[in-house]
Amino acid sequence: MAPEDGPKIILESMKEAGINFVTSLPDFNLAKLIELVDGDPEIKHVALCREEEGIGLCTGAYMGGKTTAIIMQNGGFLNSCNGLTTTALNFNIPMLLMIYYAGDIGDEGFSTLGSVTEPVLSGLGIRYYVLRKMDEIKNTIKGATLLATDSRRPVAVLLTKNVLGTRR
Amino acid sequence: MTRYDCLKGIASEVGQSLVITIGGGGSTEWGAVRPGEGNMRVRTLGLVQSIALGLALSLPKRQILAVDGDGALLMNLCALPTLAREKPDNLIYMVFDNGMYEASGLIKTATGVCADLIQIARGAGIKEAMWAPSLEDFRDKVVTSMEKRKFAFIGARVESGPEYIKQFKKLPRFDVSEVESVYRMMRYIEKTEGISVVPPPGPRN
Repeated sequence: MAPEDGPKIILESMKEAGINFVTSLPDFNLAKLIELVDGDPEIKHVALCREEEGIGLCTGAYMGGKTTAIIMQNGGFLNSCNGLTTTALNFNIPMLLMIYYAGDIGDEGFSTLGSVTEPVLSGLGIRYYVLRKMDEIKNTIKGATLLATDSRRPVAVLLTKNVLGTRR
Repeated sequence: MTRYDCLKGIASEVGQSLVITIGGGGSTEWGAVRPGEGNMRVRTLGLVQSIALGLALSLPKRQILAVDGDGALLMNLCALPTLAREKPDNLIYMVFDNGMYEASGLIKTATGVCADLIQIARGAGIKEAMWAPSLEDFRDKVVTSMEKRKFAFIGARVESGPEYIKQFKKLPRFDVSEVESVYRMMRYIEKTEGISVVPPPGPRN
């Protein structure tokens, strides 16, 4: 499996996990994955203008019977903290947070963002899993979705360039 | 024109509609005029329109109503272009503009000074956005869009202030906690739509 196959395997894993409602806002490294999601007839995809909207959309869609995910950069995760706290966590709403890990080891230009990402997730009590290996994509995404549903809370998967096949 | 009178005017028309209200006076008033399982009170300013949109997209046969305020909408104007891109025909979004942060000390919002929410919405691509200048017109807009199953974005400029707040504080409190209102609504959706939303806990055998 080459990293270039990552977006396709991520989408397959999301579908196998039952995800059928996805909101997104692009990062360069997420563009391929978002294109694939947008073109998939089995998934309702809503393009956001700001990531916190996605927390509301996923909440409403969950209440309407959907299994949901939001695809965003970690800067967008920071934009979403109030919605995550006072809606998703407050109301026991599960959703998969698919977060591109800008400022991760080997990245340039986002080290401050990278350094606060895991502490903020921990501070909110959101469990997270860093995805660095191609052969762990399927189990991690399916497991995180099941954990979200079972715990009725958001669960995060941090996506790195190793599994998105992007280089800059 | 007051928000309470607007809501009273449509309460008997909405049937089994699911109604998402922003916390504060609007949710208290709506709970008083149409109590029950189909009501959810939102805590996060700016997420009423997003939650209502998510519900409308996932339950396309169900009428969804959103009751919001100017302060809350101003906090998430980014949601307007998103709403414009989707515009589900089963969603009616209502914003009551009193020009102030009514639940937070009556301090003026930007609409109390200069901003026009309907012009902002139109600029975002919601061509349907309109002010309702009277109680009759407000009721008419809501009822017509329900009957014709058309997306609607309705603004109403309403009075508020210290005397008004005293009035709605005499109403019964929203009947259950916010968390309970969400679970109650999800069970109501399960019952009336015949779907599973919150399955029994695992492990699955």
